[in-house]
Amino acid sequence: MLSNYFKIGFRILNRQRSYTVLNILGLTIGIAVFVFIYLYVQSEFRYDRIWTDSENIYRVWTEYKLEGKIEKVAISPFRLAGELRENFPEVKESTKLFFTDPSDVNDMSSITYQDEVYEVQNITLSDSGLFRIFDFNFTEGDPRSALTPPNSIVISTTVAKQIFGNKKALGQKLKSTRREYTVTGVFEANPCPTHLNFDAVVSESSLSPESLQHMKNDWFRLGVYTYVKLDDTVNIESFQERINSYILKEIKAFIDSANINVDGYMIYSVEPVRHVHFNTTLAYDSPSNTNPAYLIIFSIIAGFILLTASINYINLAVARSLKRAKEVGMRKVLGAFRRQLVLQYVSEAFIVVLIAFILALALVEFLMPWFNTLVGKNLTLVGTLFSNKGIGFGLLLILMMAILAVVSGMFPAFILSGFNPANVLKGNNFMATIRGKQRITAGGIRKILVVIQYVVSIGMIIATLIIFFQMRFLKNQDLGFDAGNVIVINTPDDTAYFKNAASFIETLQSVQGVEGVSSTSNVPGYTYGKALFYVGDSSKNSLKTLGIFVVDTNFFSVLKIPLVEGKYFNREMENDTTHYYILNEAAVEALNLKHPVGRSFNASFLSKSSGKIIGVVRNFSYSSLHSTVEPLAVLLYPGESRYVLVRMDEYRKDETMAGIQKVWSKYNTGHFMHYTFLENKIRSLYAADRKMLSLFIYFTLFVMFISSLGLYGLSSLLIEQRTKEIAIRKVLGGSDKRIILLLVKDYFRLVLIAGLVASPVVYYLMNKWLNTFSVHIFINGWYFVAGILAMMALALLTVVIRSYHVLRQDPALALKYE
Amino acid sequence: MIVTKGLKKIFNSGDVETIALRNVSIEVEQGDFVAVMGPSGCGKTTLLNILGLIDNANAGEYYFKGQEVSTLNDKEKAILRKKNIGFVFQNFNLIDELTVRENIELPLIYLGWKKKDRIKRVNEVIERMEISHRKDLFPVQLSGGQQQRVAVARAVVAKPSLILADEPTGNLDSMHGEEVMNLLNELNKEGTTIVMVTHSRRDASYSRRIIHLFDGQVINENLNKFI
Repeated sequence: MLSNYFKIGFRILNRQRSYTVLNILGLTIGIAVFVFIYLYVQSEFRYDRIWTDSENIYRVWTEYKLEGKIEKVAISPFRLAGELRENFPEVKESTKLFFTDPSDVNDMSSITYQDEVYEVQNITLSDSGLFRIFDFNFTEGDPRSALTPPNSIVISTTVAKQIFGNKKALGQKLKSTRREYTVTGVFEANPCPTHLNFDAVVSESSLSPESLQHMKNDWFRLGVYTYVKLDDTVNIESFQERINSYILKEIKAFIDSANINVDGYMIYSVEPVRHVHFNTTLAYDSPSNTNPAYLIIFSIIAGFILLTASINYINLAVARSLKRAKEVGMRKVLGAFRRQLVLQYVSEAFIVVLIAFILALALVEFLMPWFNTLVGKNLTLVGTLFSNKGIGFGLLLILMMAILAVVSGMFPAFILSGFNPANVLKGNNFMATIRGKQRITAGGIRKILVVIQYVVSIGMIIATLIIFFQMRFLKNQDLGFDAGNVIVINTPDDTAYFKNAASFIETLQSVQGVEGVSSTSNVPGYTYGKALFYVGDSSKNSLKTLGIFVVDTNFFSVLKIPLVEGKYFNREMENDTTHYYILNEAAVEALNLKHPVGRSFNASFLSKSSGKIIGVVRNFSYSSLHSTVEPLAVLLYPGESRYVLVRMDEYRKDETMAGIQKVWSKYNTGHFMHYTFLENKIRSLYAADRKMLSLFIYFTLFVMFISSLGLYGLSSLLIEQRTKEIAIRKVLGGSDKRIILLLVKDYFRLVLIAGLVASPVVYYLMNKWLNTFSVHIFINGWYFVAGILAMMALALLTVVIRSYHVLRQDPALALKYE
Repeated sequence: MIVTKGLKKIFNSGDVETIALRNVSIEVEQGDFVAVMGPSGCGKTTLLNILGLIDNANAGEYYFKGQEVSTLNDKEKAILRKKNIGFVFQNFNLIDELTVRENIELPLIYLGWKKKDRIKRVNEVIERMEISHRKDLFPVQLSGGQQQRVAVARAVVAKPSLILADEPTGNLDSMHGEEVMNLLNELNKEGTTIVMVTHSRRDASYSRRIIHLFDGQVINENLNKFI
């Protein structure tokens, strides 16, 4: 019986080949997009799941309030890990991982092996707890003790290969600018997606006893990520309460002994390590963390795209059902039960879905490299199918196939099997006889389904327009400084460099095409610190948390940041014992200063209190435009800076770059010059938003394409049914234009209804998204008008293409056919 | 075999109400061959559809083999129909996607016959109707006469006690028409009851009895020998 259904299904699909192709094409794209999004979302959920007992591993993050300002940061004090392990028996292991600047991809360290210099990214410090909690696979060495001895280094297989090739790494000596290390372990790189990001780890015990002691004492110095592995019986909430009340006592003792006067609090919270990747609310966290809202949006879109494709199938099947009514009527006459008719339809749908699935999986495999570039991942379809997650994924695919087939097949089946056989079998012109209730039902359902498709399409067009214009707005946004034609060079962390830094900078100035050079520790778009400041001579006066930039004299001129009041830094000030500050407008406002210039101003971390404000600059956007410009104090301190900014002549970039490179090589033998165009760096701050934009553009195109396919097929069938009507209208003198208008009028109405449904939803959601930016466009009516008009144009185009043939046909032919 | 009392059928199309059958009472004996005649639109096909349990009357009673069937639900009607009634239509109504053999086999599938029995029975019928050489063709590959033979074969395959034929020769030339009428006649002689709607006096001459319908009413009922 079942094979009979399939046999007949194949013949029917083969006979109506063009509709079968339309259906399969739509479903293939729908399923492919679904699979892509599934793999993407699934890979996001794989973060940090590989670790043994990963459900018992937590990261401790800090919320503190200092002088009225609440901050939530991923980092915590150095001594926290030790305190927790020693005083709380439920803490089985703890470790600290030193914060490295995740915002700077050029932050390299030079490692020397046998007089050869190698650049290694992401070197951090930790203790022996690290590899006990995170059980990386070690190819050499013992993970439990590798980080115990001083001056030991553990490297990734990638670094080992880079430096040693195929030689054994264990026991080899590596030199940094300050120390010599012994390789005590090699761990396998990239075992699974993880928020941990390091290529080499140096043992914490390598630090000098003084600095270790210094860090151990200070409760306010946040500089490490703290991880703990807890007993699986621990109640997290009570654990948090207990550690906070314990630490509060410790901090109080520390404050009393250090004789500082602060108003605020510090609270520690723990979050499961598996959730770290989805937390985008903390400062100093991994920039690759994902906002789960995006994942939810993408999943919803995947569902919508699948729905759109499935609606195509249903609509075409329902429209076609009028043609098939005779067959169904006959089957009923011969005694078929409704169930048997439904099964026939579901088997047809199953064949289509099955073919679409096979094609979709092939398409996914084929387009995977492109998709991986788009989303910046390394996904594989085959890999997923044959991994340990493969069974679940396979089952999901089968379940989806079944749901798609049943949903797509059921609908037309129920409409058709409801036909009265006596009506459909009456004569040749059976279509005309089903003008009654069923026709209305079929037409009504079809319209509702088309409206759903349009709602999705229009909604996505409008959303894409808004994202596009917001991105363009950001790009054209006045940052408050000129990032164009400026390169940011990372300086080597090397005493040799600092010795010659001054003459290096001076030589750079003389390179043809160089318009300005600044040696600075902070650059807009990179990580910056915060500090406590006070106006006046004593910290007993009110303290305020401000962002801090440490720069040289040329910083403002190179970045072209305009002065509002007072004066810029100058050369004489560099050698002065006074600390000179320039504030931004936001800081002046936060400090509530009427006449800031000339006021005494000091950072609490600096011992001498002879600071002074000499100027105020316009607010410039020094972190992402997702946040408003916060108060900032810029300190003149041309010491050991991390970056060199070079402004170049716009028209002589190539030769200028060559000149800069030459000077670099002369002064920094053995070091590569790592640099970035500041503009690119600023653009990378919106990489996530841009990724979302490109995904949205693609998704929108897919949805539009799929619903056009459906519309094309649907209007074909409807025009076919109206061939006689069109012919009569032509005979009576109707122009092509009027006839097309007649045909497309219904769709216009549906587009309008869909537009009305989609608009408020999109308005609400997009407003929410826009509000995550400190500056954003305002949504006006044009976006909605444009979205609706675009869909109308698409409908018109589809109908015109489809009706062209019928309109060109000799009306006599159509009338004869009837 | 068939007794109807006061059958009434009304079609509603918007505000227009058309009475297709009014107060139709007829009787058909087991083994009879009845022709229903009348002008276009007089209700012949409507009557046939009601007799074949594929349409419902608005009023009146219908006894099939002594059982009142107008009150049965769709499923019960379907069961009764597939066990007892075969249909032949003017436009054949073969299923285009099925071969000759599969079209003929279909009623047996819906009756739940075993495959072995189905093949045996279908072969018998195919041979009887002399269409063995075309059994694997699709309907579009056959002439009208051949298609109607297949339709007759499909109607008789389940050995129904009643065949309802709606203008079975309407789309055929006279030669093929005669062939089909001969087939029906043979079946009737073997004991199958036949009710046939027709415009053709010639076809009607094969029947034993003619019911004349006009504007939905039986106006005359006579034994064929009197025409």
